[in-house]
Amino acid sequence: MIKIWSIKKDNSAAEKKKPKVSAAQIRVQKDLTELALPDTMQMSFPDEADLLNFNLSITPDEGFYRGGVFRFTFNINNNYPHDPPKVRCSQKIYHPNIDLEGNVCLNILREDWKPVLNLNSVLVGLQYLFLEPNADDPLNKDAAEDLRTNRKNFEYNVKQSMRGKDVKGINFDNVLM
Amino acid sequence: MKVKVKRWHGVAVWRWDVPNEEVCGICRVPFDGCCPTCKTPGDDCSLIWGECTHVFHMHCLLRWLQTEGSRGQCPMDRRTWGIKFIIY
Repeated sequence: MIKIWSIKKDNSAAEKKKPKVSAAQIRVQKDLTELALPDTMQMSFPDEADLLNFNLSITPDEGFYRGGVFRFTFNINNNYPHDPPKVRCSQKIYHPNIDLEGNVCLNILREDWKPVLNLNSVLVGLQYLFLEPNADDPLNKDAAEDLRTNRKNFEYNVKQSMRGKDVKGINFDNVLM
Repeated sequence: MKVKVKRWHGVAVWRWDVPNEEVCGICRVPFDGCCPTCKTPGDDCSLIWGECTHVFHMHCLLRWLQTEGSRGQCPMDRRTWGIKFIIY
């Protein structure tokens, strides 16, 4: 006769010896296997063993930002999925929803985050920011004002900034491929 | 043919009363498994149903509700979370 209670005890003793895989790591692993990465996005892991810190580059194939490569860092803490991933743009870019320090204004990364969302939702959200920058929820007020009042001028400024030129006295990073 | 039963083993199977192959939306582990902080499924890691009809591992949901950003809302529909029932 199998003693089910002793199996349970043995298993839990064995579990304790193994290096602890956190709930966050397990969940990120699941998110990554479900990820459907389009051609316009690439992920890289500086430390292969660390799934919680990685880089993402987005190469929009349409819209104002077409032709650029935009790099982001993802830092996921051990309270994921209860806390959202921390996402920063590692370049200085001219975008209504991204400030000069690289902070990103995307609702699901802040007040609208919920643990049933996953990495795919965040990636889709980021991609969307480059297709449809949003002037109503700005982090870079100048860029938002340009987008709202003069789309032609905004488009020109985006192109200038992407080439590493100055826009209104601020120098931006060259993001062209 | 006459058969005489000399010995028998009882075998039972249990599962939570939820639709087949559903996973907890928070940890993405099947409901019949346990939340990531528990070792064995069953009574020690029960499920919780909300008034909005959404189901989660109880531990997953409680941890979310303790998070500041949750504002006491269901992680699926953002309605105020109210407990419909918990199965022990």
